[in-house]
Amino acid sequence: MTQFKRRDILKGMGGLAGLSLMGAGPLRTALAQGMASDEAWKQASGTTIQFISENTPPTTAIAANLASFQELTGITVNITEMQLGALVQKVALDFGAGRSAFDVIYADPYQVLAPYHRGLVDLNTFINDDQQPVVPQGIEDFIPSQLAAAGRFKDSESLYTLPYDCPTMIWIYRRDLFEKYHDQMQQDLGFDPTPSDSTTWEQYYQIAEWFSNGNASEVQYGTGHQALQYDSLMCDFSNVLFAYGGDYFANGQQVGLLGTDSPGECQLTSEPALEAARFYQKLLKVAHPGSTSWDWTGVANAFQNGEFAMMPEWHEFAGSLESSPLQGKIGYAPLPKGPARSANLWGGTGIGINANASAEKQKAAWLFLVWATSPQTQLMGLKSEVGGGTPTRQSVYDMPEVKAASTPPTDMPNMLTADTMLTAWQDDHIGLRPKIAQWNEVDTVIFTELSKMLAGQMSPEETMQSAKQRIDRIVGA
Amino acid sequence: MALTTGKPSAQRQGFELAMMSPALFLLALITLVPFFSIIWMSFNDVSLMGGLAFEFSGLENWKRVFTDPDIRSSWLISLVYFLATVGLEMVIGTVMALLVYSLTRGSNIIISMLLIPMFIAPVIVGLLGRFMLDPSHGLYAWLLNESGLFDGNILGSVGSAMVAVILMDVWEWTPLVALIVLAGLASVPEDTLEAAEMDGAKYSQKLIYIILPSISNILLVALLIRAMDAIRFFAIIFITTNGGPADSTKIIPIRLYDIAFRFFDLGYAAAVGITMLVFSIMVATAFTKLLKRQETSS
Repeated sequence: MTQFKRRDILKGMGGLAGLSLMGAGPLRTALAQGMASDEAWKQASGTTIQFISENTPPTTAIAANLASFQELTGITVNITEMQLGALVQKVALDFGAGRSAFDVIYADPYQVLAPYHRGLVDLNTFINDDQQPVVPQGIEDFIPSQLAAAGRFKDSESLYTLPYDCPTMIWIYRRDLFEKYHDQMQQDLGFDPTPSDSTTWEQYYQIAEWFSNGNASEVQYGTGHQALQYDSLMCDFSNVLFAYGGDYFANGQQVGLLGTDSPGECQLTSEPALEAARFYQKLLKVAHPGSTSWDWTGVANAFQNGEFAMMPEWHEFAGSLESSPLQGKIGYAPLPKGPARSANLWGGTGIGINANASAEKQKAAWLFLVWATSPQTQLMGLKSEVGGGTPTRQSVYDMPEVKAASTPPTDMPNMLTADTMLTAWQDDHIGLRPKIAQWNEVDTVIFTELSKMLAGQMSPEETMQSAKQRIDRIVGA
Repeated sequence: MALTTGKPSAQRQGFELAMMSPALFLLALITLVPFFSIIWMSFNDVSLMGGLAFEFSGLENWKRVFTDPDIRSSWLISLVYFLATVGLEMVIGTVMALLVYSLTRGSNIIISMLLIPMFIAPVIVGLLGRFMLDPSHGLYAWLLNESGLFDGNILGSVGSAMVAVILMDVWEWTPLVALIVLAGLASVPEDTLEAAEMDGAKYSQKLIYIILPSISNILLVALLIRAMDAIRFFAIIFITTNGGPADSTKIIPIRLYDIAFRFFDLGYAAAVGITMLVFSIMVATAFTKLLKRQETSS
């Protein structure tokens, strides 16, 4: 077998800085020179691997550009895309069977990583292997909070996935309306309504009410929410909960970043959590009534149809919104702050390798992981005409062409949110739900109880009490 | 050629059994093994990690089935849903069949048009329903709003969401009932109807005393088929409301899906699934007994 020395592999790494200037260009050459020798890339040639992924924009872009990876490595990748729920079932059953129908796994931190991390390869095995291509610019290039939240579980050493996508909830609003009615709003409300770091959730509510009172002819309501009895409702509420200083478990940020097997007692009956629930109930009363039947896609469609002026929404919707009739009329900001902070729920995911896969397939899978999360592939995703997500690496945001694309007009619409996102991912802004094995069940309790609250069946106090009791039973606290 | 009569000989029975045994064995393998596995699962905590593993937990799962308030609430919602859908489908389907049967011209075209909903996959019906009832751009939502009949969020409000999913199921499956009843109407004795007419009987009297009793068997068959289907109803609710809002449409199959494929609590899911199976068998047995009694009396 051909042996590769680290210096062979690192050969050409000096040119990495230049990579950022090369654009998507001849990807094969750039990657081969930047990360390893041709031999290193070809070491699993002829292998076929299976990649299971949620049907997300980054995978759509990667699927459209797989030819460059196959040319580089000689590896064939079959991609299976599906809804996250279906993916979790397939992965769980794959692990249960002790087989490897899928070699590369889109490992949602809460539904796959936390319960099934033992089924994933610790990537340090490959990172420390001289024969493998290096992760360009090292894993330190990934946004730190995303690396921990997507890739680690329980300890800060083992790494199960590389950050692959990073949808995060931010404040998306009709900039044209905020500009048009700025003076009138300021006069009526007594504060500058322009969304900024200093806007509070209480002010968000007042702005929403102002629009809903018929002060702007363009929209009927001020705010719309993803409050369908579904995961989306938990996401929407969590932004408020964290902002008010509440959390699901004690030491919430740590439980969100690294995860735990024993989160302890649920904290939803704390005063900040109760205050958050009260506020959320009040906010939803002035929101578009359709909110209780919309998930993230539904609320984005309604926003695009001009139903309301603003919404908390995943930032990756910017791509589709900027190609709608609202192009150029939309503004982006971190979510409002509460008494504690501004919290922007992170919903990113990493990709990992199935530990049941054969050694040959694991090697091929690692080559795919390195390629799929490389700066050049992420740049390709940004430019892709079929979608593409937003980068998970700092170096991509530092590329001059990417920086230039963060102001309109742009051919990378997702980059219009770049400044907002770099704020939203900071440790004091990012919102992290608990990374625990029982999350699916806990999540269901949260959105079911909240749905009862929004339907008027329970008060905020009863809702939080009932949720706490059920969650404590589930986690065994 | 001489015809054989009476019971086949033991030798011949043995030969037939030998010929059928591979198929019987296969049938047993694909039905009995999963069946007994599920029963065994219901007495265990089942783990998927590192290969399927069972840890005996005794009656724990069964205790939960009968004490879990969520399961109780889902059964109650299922019962409401079951009675409403099956009841409406039987009444509307029978009326539709009677109307079509009374047509002298164009009945074939009408029947073809009536059957269209039945050929659409339930998932598509759910997606269509969600689209038509969307509060921001749905046609039905707009019509209801403009007419002043309902100005809320249909799929996002308790009560209206249940009515909506019931009506979607009724829209899709009433034609099946109509088709079955239409087939039955062909067997109504014409001479009896003519005699009743000669005696001056009104349509309602013919309906109550001749038509409905004549097709009662076929009505029971339709009821049985729809009842079995309604118990395991899933797709439309999964697509439109996913059990919400406030769990108001969380019928037992949706709850079972959550337990099995979202929480992967497979032991508990097995216990819940068995209770559904028992309920189905009870309903089927009741209808079959009714059918037999009907046949005996006629």
